[in-house]
Amino acid sequence: MPAIKNWYKTVYQRLFHLDDRLLLIIAGSIAGICSGLAAVVLRLSLESVLEWLHPFRHYGWAFIFPAVGALLSSFYLEKIAREGAGHGVPEVIYSVSRYGGLLRFRSSYSRLISSFLTIGSGGSAGPEAPVVMSGSAIGSSIAKFLSLNDRQRITLVGCGTAGAIASIFNAPIAGLVFSIEVILGEWKFVNIIPIAIAAVAGAQVSQAIIPERVLFFHQPFQVGFPDVLACLCLAVVTAMISVLFTKVLRQTGKIAKKSAFPLWGRAFIGGCTVGIIGMFMPVVLAEGYSFIQSMISGTFSMGLFLAFVAVFAKIFATAMTLGWGGSGGIFAPCLLIGSLTGIVFHKMLFALFPTVGCASEGAYALLGMTGIISGVMQAPLTGIFLIVEITGGYETILPLIVVSSISSTMSHYIEPASFYFKELIERGQFLRPGTDARILSDLNIRELIETEFVTVSENMVFRKFIELLKTSGQNFFPVIEDGSDEYKGMIQISGIRRYALDPGMYDMIFLNQIMDTEVITASLENDLQEVLDMMDINNMDSIPIVENDQFIGMISKTRVLDLYRRELIVQTSVH
Amino acid sequence: MNYKLLHIFRNTPFGRETFLQSLYFCKTINAFPVVYIPKSDKFLMYFSNDAVQVDLDHSYLTSPDTAQSHAEALFNEMDIKPMFYAPKNFTASSLPDISTNFDYLCCPRSVSDLSSKIGLGHIGPKVRRIIKHATFPILITSPVYKPWESISVFFGGSKNAVTALRLGLKTAMSSGLPLDIYTLMEKKDETFYRELVKNEGLTEPVSQLSRQWYFYKKPDFNTMLYEVPHNSLIVLGAYGHGIIRDILLGSKMEQIQSTVTNNLLITGPHCSISL
Amino acid sequence: MELSVFDLSKHLGVAPNTIERWIRQGKLPVSKKGTNYRFQSNELSKWALRNNINLDLTDKETPEKIQESNIALSDAVQNGGVYCNIKGNDVNSVLKACLEKISEIPDDFKADLLERLIEREKALSTGIGKGIAIPHPREQLSYLKHPMISVCFLDQPVDYKALDNQPVSVLFFIFCPVLKLHLHLLSVLSFCLRDSRFTGFLKSNPDPIALIEKIKILQKANPI
Repeated sequence: MPAIKNWYKTVYQRLFHLDDRLLLIIAGSIAGICSGLAAVVLRLSLESVLEWLHPFRHYGWAFIFPAVGALLSSFYLEKIAREGAGHGVPEVIYSVSRYGGLLRFRSSYSRLISSFLTIGSGGSAGPEAPVVMSGSAIGSSIAKFLSLNDRQRITLVGCGTAGAIASIFNAPIAGLVFSIEVILGEWKFVNIIPIAIAAVAGAQVSQAIIPERVLFFHQPFQVGFPDVLACLCLAVVTAMISVLFTKVLRQTGKIAKKSAFPLWGRAFIGGCTVGIIGMFMPVVLAEGYSFIQSMISGTFSMGLFLAFVAVFAKIFATAMTLGWGGSGGIFAPCLLIGSLTGIVFHKMLFALFPTVGCASEGAYALLGMTGIISGVMQAPLTGIFLIVEITGGYETILPLIVVSSISSTMSHYIEPASFYFKELIERGQFLRPGTDARILSDLNIRELIETEFVTVSENMVFRKFIELLKTSGQNFFPVIEDGSDEYKGMIQISGIRRYALDPGMYDMIFLNQIMDTEVITASLENDLQEVLDMMDINNMDSIPIVENDQFIGMISKTRVLDLYRRELIVQTSVH
Repeated sequence: MNYKLLHIFRNTPFGRETFLQSLYFCKTINAFPVVYIPKSDKFLMYFSNDAVQVDLDHSYLTSPDTAQSHAEALFNEMDIKPMFYAPKNFTASSLPDISTNFDYLCCPRSVSDLSSKIGLGHIGPKVRRIIKHATFPILITSPVYKPWESISVFFGGSKNAVTALRLGLKTAMSSGLPLDIYTLMEKKDETFYRELVKNEGLTEPVSQLSRQWYFYKKPDFNTMLYEVPHNSLIVLGAYGHGIIRDILLGSKMEQIQSTVTNNLLITGPHCSISL
Repeated sequence: MELSVFDLSKHLGVAPNTIERWIRQGKLPVSKKGTNYRFQSNELSKWALRNNINLDLTDKETPEKIQESNIALSDAVQNGGVYCNIKGNDVNSVLKACLEKISEIPDDFKADLLERLIEREKALSTGIGKGIAIPHPREQLSYLKHPMISVCFLDQPVDYKALDNQPVSVLFFIFCPVLKLHLHLLSVLSFCLRDSRFTGFLKSNPDPIALIEKIKILQKANPI
């Protein structure tokens, strides 16, 4: 047994530590395949449940389905999986920023089940964010199994994410771009290859099991110059809708939290509301891929007015589902809202300028989708590539770019933080590599402390202290109590100048009479940001660190600068 | 010295016993306890290679308004300055991140089971995972507060056991209490274990600090357990032999803690102790 | 060459904790030997080069702290010699006469040294009171092998424009190759000269051996 273990260890080390790129590629593709499978499983099960429930939809009491689904989902998440509720994608970003991508294993499957319950029963949410969460957790678990370091684990988390998105939409480039743009936040060469391979792996898995080539089939579009002009307006419209959507989502969430209902009560109410709306407008239910398909093919049956109402109905329904306890993502709702917006816009355009030859409804549906995705997630590249890959064609790329960039810029201007990041930014946890916040969070006080200090007793006569001064280079002397080593105060050379130059004082005073007890101290529990703030507010260049009444050391600004630079260089290093 | 112990406070009479034990431990080895009063029933500990979620059972959230004052009263009873820990970062709104920057962690035998199970000496799976990943020793307290008067190290010869020996020596040094070593000889003889200690450079401290070294042959395991004084702190290493062996054959640690009621100080594979 | 975590932390000027964190985050090229991390110096040099980090892996010899070989006052006086009955009636002639007597200064340098001493007196009198003066040049005399104090007893007291306006009868010449030693000797000498018994003893024109003995006793009492 030990012999086999040794052999395994040597092979493992020789093979993989030579170049960890090979290891990452293999592990990444496994992560991509697994997350691809998870995505496929979720998609297929959702389809089958929706079909199974479909005949019941015209009953009067059918509105209860989403309620029951949301109820079961939140119950499962809280009590059985015991996973703190949360949106999912921000949690992944948080872990990537702070803890090198460490995610709990239970996240690999729990969100799949809970979103299956929510969406399958008709809740207005998308299956993408749960699959992203599962994929990331799978990547993280593989990294744990192989005992990889933070950097490699983050790459694997990215691989899982990319595989998930690639699999759902059969769009590997979109998976790669989403993973790097949203989750990782840095375009590093070492990351791109494994993630790209994982994305392709995920897409292949999905193709193997669900053989359709694109998610949404379409006829080729003719896009002319007037369309490009129209896109400018469309971009503005989508930006507005995106901002509205984001705001409504957050507000409903806040209202739900403040309400007095218990967790399942909220989920039930949210679900009921969605169910009722769904009775009148089935377009708001579930993830709505079939409706999107009909919009792109131009076979959408709603008129201008109804479509217009549907936009807001869907926004509201999604907010009720997600804000009030259901589990799912906002990707698919964004697509639906986007296509509705596009359709409405097209109909209005046609009504206003019936003679101008603009592209068909389906094209505008696509453009609307790009606009909303870019606006809500503020990830313009993801928006462009996703739509291009979904439709399988480049003919709309010029208007796509126009819509995408204008929409994201405008929404960024109005709402500076995207939906995924807002929560993190508010908590101060949005830590992209190479940013000041990240460096300050990585640097630990313990690494900055200088501990080589001579301490003096509080009962020392001043004369003795002067003698000590002659041979010491310190500017600060911590004063401690005899016997217990408790920190009592600080002597700063600048503060005692006037006594030091008056020999008459030398035998007259003890140190505890001239020490400064008001000096602000920090403890090992403070983080660097707090310590720096303390130093700024009190105009100090050095601050003593005291823990449990014991003097530990001092932190000086000059040392912080040295180590800050070191940290920045290492963090942004080319590896 | 500045050794910190993290204690998760349970505001029940049972939790009181556990906390008194932590306080006594800290006082004896000159460390100081920091109390975390849970506001939600779960928390996350991020180690360097794993994120462990600990689900606490509801007894940890009993009467939150009196928890602080109860804890302070117990601090004052043992004449230690009250110190509390408040988590700064949250993975989700009900999921705080608990720092792993401590020197000791105190757990009851199980954090997620009913007190009745604890009485039977069952170690919960979460505690096992924490031990596997922690870089610090875990103190598992006896069900009832019992001041310990000596230290007994279980030295089995594995790498973890050496860490446990170091920890035992360190504890003996800082507490001034007598130290005994107990070894169950599995297929080897006394000289093997003494050689091992010599190779680690620990012969000096062992002869200085330890009172007696008892050797037992394999079938006398239960006799050994009985002969360990009831009021002694047992120090041992856990999970020295690999996952598969643990699953199939169970580990010594499990056997020990289900038979004895002493306080246990356990070192996991990632612990490193310096004298 | 292999380096440990501790070695690297010294070379980079960061705490060992930081190195361990960087290893955990995957930022350093490291290999594991058992439970300890080890670095290869060639890999580290490549890494430092790629990332524009100054990494000097040669073993820096910690500069031996220059022994502050503080010379004792009595030894300095022994080096410089004690001379009596120097004739002269003003500052310059007295300085000239002393210098002629002092054998430890090479003859070629005497003229230059005299100029420097006179210059120094012109700037501020070195008569510190109680009949004692401590003439010395502003710049150090690098040609001297060791520091020395030459004690010269004057035949007759001379008006030295001293601080207390008393005429001066004892001159302590301080000649040093290095500034630090000069300052040290100055400090020790002033300590001794504060003692009124010593200054009284000086007035009695003691012989060299007695003087040096007295100095030895005094310098023992000095806490420096």
